[in-house]
Amino acid sequence: MIERVLQTLVDVVSVGGLYALTALGIGLIFGVMRLINFAHAQLIMMAGYAILVLFSQSVPLAIAAAAVVAILLALGTERVVFRPLRDADPATLLIASFALSFFIEKTMIMLVGSRPKGVDFLPELARQIEVAGVRLQLLQIVTIAVSGALLIATTWFLRSTKLGLEMRAAAENFRMAQVLGVRANRVIAVAFAMSGILAAAVACLFVAQTGLVQPRMGLQLVVIAFVGSVIGGLGSLPGAALGGFLVGAATILLQTLLPAELRVFREVFLFVAVALVLLLRPQGLIPAPGLKARV
Amino acid sequence: MKTTGMMKAAAFSAAAMVFALPSAAADKPVFGLVMSFSGWFQPIDADTIAGAKLAVENINAAGGVLGQPIEIVEFDNKSEPPLGADGAIDVIDKGAKAILFPSDFDFGAPGAFIAQQKNVVAFSAASDPKFGAKGIGPLAYSVSNAGQAQGALMAEWAYKEKGWRKAYVLLDNTISYTKSLCGSFAERWKEIAGAGALLGEDTFLNGDPSIASQVTRSTSLAEKPDLVFLCSYAPGGPSAIRQMRAAGIDAAVLTGESMDGDYWIGSVPGLSNFYVVNYGSKYGDDPSAEVNAFFERFEKKFGKKADVSYGLRGYSAVQAWAIAANKAGSLDGDKVAAILDTFDKEPLVVGPTTWTAERHIEATRPMAIIGVKDGKFAAEGRFSVEKYPEF
Repeated sequence: MIERVLQTLVDVVSVGGLYALTALGIGLIFGVMRLINFAHAQLIMMAGYAILVLFSQSVPLAIAAAAVVAILLALGTERVVFRPLRDADPATLLIASFALSFFIEKTMIMLVGSRPKGVDFLPELARQIEVAGVRLQLLQIVTIAVSGALLIATTWFLRSTKLGLEMRAAAENFRMAQVLGVRANRVIAVAFAMSGILAAAVACLFVAQTGLVQPRMGLQLVVIAFVGSVIGGLGSLPGAALGGFLVGAATILLQTLLPAELRVFREVFLFVAVALVLLLRPQGLIPAPGLKARV
Repeated sequence: MKTTGMMKAAAFSAAAMVFALPSAAADKPVFGLVMSFSGWFQPIDADTIAGAKLAVENINAAGGVLGQPIEIVEFDNKSEPPLGADGAIDVIDKGAKAILFPSDFDFGAPGAFIAQQKNVVAFSAASDPKFGAKGIGPLAYSVSNAGQAQGALMAEWAYKEKGWRKAYVLLDNTISYTKSLCGSFAERWKEIAGAGALLGEDTFLNGDPSIASQVTRSTSLAEKPDLVFLCSYAPGGPSAIRQMRAAGIDAAVLTGESMDGDYWIGSVPGLSNFYVVNYGSKYGDDPSAEVNAFFERFEKKFGKKADVSYGLRGYSAVQAWAIAANKAGSLDGDKVAAILDTFDKEPLVVGPTTWTAERHIEATRPMAIIGVKDGKFAAEGRFSVEKYPEF
């Protein structure tokens, strides 16, 4: 029984962590640009393909390549697609991000086909270790550690560096920050690069877990993480991470606790819970200060 | 005089061509492929299309249909089901007398309804009995074995051939095939092994990033199952196997035709104790010599090994149509269908096929079971289901 509870806890935290990282990547961009970037899924997917190409040669190389590909793609899309639209209203930005997301996905289907490709990435993590007499999956422990480390690193960056300060200022009131001398292009580019790093980390963990890459990977993660960042409080970075974590954790808890005949309706329960949170706290769990006046 | 005669003859034959063209086109054996040549469904249809083309080549070499070579007309539905209806209209305009649609009811039905209205025979490799007389109409035929019979077949095989006694069911609750498959397995398993022999049932969704909770539930069972019956497809299916094996679940994993092929084995390279039911072994060791010969011809024509066993179904669709049209002495949909309905263990490459006026899909035709050991695929043999849930 203890084993089951502990294992469930590990399941909850590891899956929650994966969603939290994804939601944080979306939240970073929303914070500085009011852009809900659905093409975040394609950052994850392209990083996945970088792993596919290089994993058999060297694991560190594959991880580095995943990060480079995701960062370059994030910066490239910012420069080519989102920068010209920076003054457009959020609906236009949203549509542009959908278009970009479809474009990259369909291009990959054309180039490499839609069939999933097997990747036995980090098979050494696919084994079990004993912790306090309980057998746990190593990969889950690593997922928890990596998610925790990246969340702490992002928090440190935002709180303790000048760029982080500028980014927080931009997230709170972009126009005011610009007036006070924050360079918009640089702050936004850094936010995109960071979202690329987070996407690459998610890709590594996700590929190690599922052992596959395919052009549609990442989509499910991003959609659910987006819901998470909404209940966490759009525009608030701690809110995005918390919301992402809670939604991921809730899917696992519902799957674990619901009786068999109700388990097929897991998503219904999840979204009822999301709706309840939004009814009780329309600004999200940790509202973004800068957004209050706009609603 | 000679020149005038020739000119007359030329003029006459030109006029004859002008007048004769429409009726000549109408009488030619034209086979339509309204399939997913591009988009996300493309890899599922690719080998079915290749199989159909191979059949056309082989049948033409043997004299064609009604003494004329079969012509192929193609339409790409771009993996968008509604485009199948446009495709059916398009290829029928180009003279198609029979059409092969994508291997899924939802993808195949829109075009098949049009074919039905235009008196054109519609084939599909959908494993859903709805693609047939009841769901579409008397001109729609599936060359597959019904999903409802595949699960029961695996239950009987696991119990009788392998002697396994405790099972656990893990259903990917996203498509109707996986639901029929797991439903049929569970029902038949409880019949032959007893209700207590089904230790539990759980569900997941194909896109779920993690099945951690499902894995924990099955590892926490008081009794360890001998086998996990997994109803899924790529990417969710291979990913589920990887996650189960990583969690130390080494029970046999059994599944249906939706996980046919070895393209995903890179996810779980050293996989063992895995069994999939499909239409024939592409590894050269099928008990049917005809199936082995088929895969050799396939490799020779396309310069690469078949991906999955689905080519057998595309081949068999063309084969069935050619046999029936030749027997009927006509290309009219209703006349060809009247012969197809009398198929009694007709030796198609996919196996002896029986269709009746009411049932246009096989259930008891033998299927191959492929086992995997240390990442290597090999045929376990061919087996027929004895009893399956009614559909």
